[in-house]
Amino acid sequence: MSRNKELLSKIGLRLDGRRANELRRIRCKLGVFTEPDGSAYIEQGLTKVLAAVYGPHQVRGQRSKAQHDGALVNCQFSMAVFSTGERKRRPRGDRKSTELSMHLQQALLAAIKTELYPWSQIDVYVEVLHADGGIYPACVNAATLALIDAGIPLKEYVCACTASLANNDVPMLDISHQEEAIGGPTLTVAALPMSGKIVLMEMSQRFHLDHLPKVLEKALQGCKDVKNILDEAVRLHVQDVGSSTGWVIKN
Amino acid sequence: MALCEAEKTFVLHGVEENFRIDGREREDYRPMELETSIVSHAFGSARLRLANTDVLVAVKIEVDIPFPEKPNEGKIEFFVDCSANATPDFEGRGGEDLAIELSNSLSTAYQSSRAFDLSKLCILKGRKCWKIYVDILLLECGGNLFDAVSLAVKAALWNAQLPLVKSVHVDGNNIEMDVSEELYDCQKLDIKNAPVMVTVCKIGDYCIVDPNQAEEKCSVGSIVVAVSGDRLSTVLQTGAGSLHPTTLVESMKLGHTVGQRLNQALWEALQQIPEDQDVGFLK
Amino acid sequence: MTIDHKRINGPEETIPYELFQKLNTKSLTTQFNECSKDGIRKDKRKTDEHRKIFITTGVVSQAKGSSYIELGNTKVIVSVFDPREIPNRTDYSLKGEIDCEFKFAPFSCPKRKLQQQDSEEKHYSAIMKQALESAVCRHEFPNFQVDIYALVLHNGGSALSAAIIAAGLALSHAGVPMYDLITSVTLGLQNGEKLVDLTLEEETLCLSPIADSKSHGIVVLSLLSTHEQVSQFFQTGNLTLEDVVECTHLLTKACKDIVPLIQKTLAKHVVKNVKESI
Repeated sequence: MSRNKELLSKIGLRLDGRRANELRRIRCKLGVFTEPDGSAYIEQGLTKVLAAVYGPHQVRGQRSKAQHDGALVNCQFSMAVFSTGERKRRPRGDRKSTELSMHLQQALLAAIKTELYPWSQIDVYVEVLHADGGIYPACVNAATLALIDAGIPLKEYVCACTASLANNDVPMLDISHQEEAIGGPTLTVAALPMSGKIVLMEMSQRFHLDHLPKVLEKALQGCKDVKNILDEAVRLHVQDVGSSTGWVIKN
Repeated sequence: MALCEAEKTFVLHGVEENFRIDGREREDYRPMELETSIVSHAFGSARLRLANTDVLVAVKIEVDIPFPEKPNEGKIEFFVDCSANATPDFEGRGGEDLAIELSNSLSTAYQSSRAFDLSKLCILKGRKCWKIYVDILLLECGGNLFDAVSLAVKAALWNAQLPLVKSVHVDGNNIEMDVSEELYDCQKLDIKNAPVMVTVCKIGDYCIVDPNQAEEKCSVGSIVVAVSGDRLSTVLQTGAGSLHPTTLVESMKLGHTVGQRLNQALWEALQQIPEDQDVGFLK
Repeated sequence: MTIDHKRINGPEETIPYELFQKLNTKSLTTQFNECSKDGIRKDKRKTDEHRKIFITTGVVSQAKGSSYIELGNTKVIVSVFDPREIPNRTDYSLKGEIDCEFKFAPFSCPKRKLQQQDSEEKHYSAIMKQALESAVCRHEFPNFQVDIYALVLHNGGSALSAAIIAAGLALSHAGVPMYDLITSVTLGLQNGEKLVDLTLEEETLCLSPIADSKSHGIVVLSLLSTHEQVSQFFQTGNLTLEDVVECTHLLTKACKDIVPLIQKTLAKHVVKNVKESI
């Protein structure tokens, strides 16, 4: 209990000076690279993620994997060896990366209108450049932006956010690595914020069931906040692209 | 990237006319962008963008035990990771061959003590030394990887800060080090002679530098020349194809002169890097 | 490093006892001067003299083609197997592939080698592949790959060159269509002295600079002699451009000198085959 206290001080400030319901600063950019069909870069606090999307294209490798009723979404998560404090030995292929790849695929499948592209494949690659807590949410958000940049039809934004519980009472949003290390439960939620659907929920450590609704609500609120930020970035980007071709008048 | 015969002829004719597909002459480089200190928890880092080739390099330093056969030398290790962001072919273990080729060429180029002096990384003979991990992340491939990677590695090593060891205490088998805790109490690495690589491609009857992807496809043979100061630290052939001995000598000469120019340009660029730049991919 | 747990591995941290012998207390300069005195080397060769070569074909009966080479103490055995379809490849490749595996036997070097390829061996495999790719008519077997295994039984220096020569011979023994015979020679430089066909001791001495030496390094060159094409060139160390250019000329000449021997070996093999079939 004494360790949990440190998460939130008496005056309601967290270790990095945020309030309980504050997100870290999100900065993002669409279209970072030219080679992929869509790419995006996102910074959530110090967590930095690059995402690239290739496709839809013909199914590579085993042709038998192709589906007649929708596109195959192939995700690969990898972390740069220098992304963590201690040097990692392998960028991918370990159990954690495989798990995160699967979770990412699950979240994206919920948003992509795969039925529009039968017999084809969409590749989503995310690369973590700097890990500082909330890797999975940053990857989902970056992948969403990259998909939008690639012009792949989505049902709506898919956003993710983490939440925790401080002092066994106050729910907190967007957990940093420091807070993860101190302890306390972490609830990761990926959601379609406009329709309020949850597509993935993962939880580590425990708290009383009574706390779940409010932590979950907080996390969903976080997803909505993230969505607003992403939406603004997308609009700005489209305006930028549009103004250069002359079909949007930029103020 | 697949090219048809007509496209190849077009590239070939461009090289013959000394007016390449992107308007360059045979010995011209494409524009480069260099940023340093981009990865905040590495000891040094750099990002180089050479037209469409994007490389991110981070340097991490750890304490290690020297090799028994080289007790008074530190260690340096190069690790290349081909990110699938660059091309879907790199997914899984697809980029491994290229990664090994790149890291091998770097380690042979840095092998000679004249190019990079490892003895300065020794803390206590036979017991403790620094090990430098140079981690290279390929984010986009637009041709000419060797040059881009070597430049980025040199910039990252230039940017690296080696912690200052104030004193070393030996107590039987225990070795205690006293590392200065002052943030700015750091040493720079000596990279004056660190090699810079130049890829020389033979297309038709002429040799060119800095080939883009299309030109790499048209090449009948190419060599990589690593220039350290005014000397050659490594020469190796890449890709399939063979060269006549005279051509080989000619391209080495070309690589040698271009390498020195490139080295000079890099050095000048490094001096000009502003202290507080708005770094990153957001620009 | 990854270790194969199914095999018996040596103790994890061992140091070859040779490191503590008296020889190692001598400075590199004296060691080098002992190796080469007035143009005569320890084994009484001149600086530009190649060691005696013994080479033969058909030593591995299971393989399609094989050869064995002795270069002084260096002993390498190379086997080439029938072309087979490229595994794990879905798209059609117009040209055949060559797959090389260069391996030092665990007992071949002063220090024990592990069963798995280390980075040096992988590097050598890549160089070998590079050298052989331009010697083989790869368009003759599209979508197929030829496997080449080179095993160094005893590393007495210039193992890579020996492996390339032997692989070239083994390929022609296997009947793989080739443009030309391939030969390869290693050359070392230290303080202006150029030594052709290095022994292991000379190899280590050329890798690091001795006191105030002007240049040092190792150059490996493989040549397709009739076409006068350098199929592979590899240099390491710290050399001036003039040195490298001079080395290239020396090596091209040295490579050509070996060709008659290879031709003779091949001719002998053919004659033997014809006699057997009559």
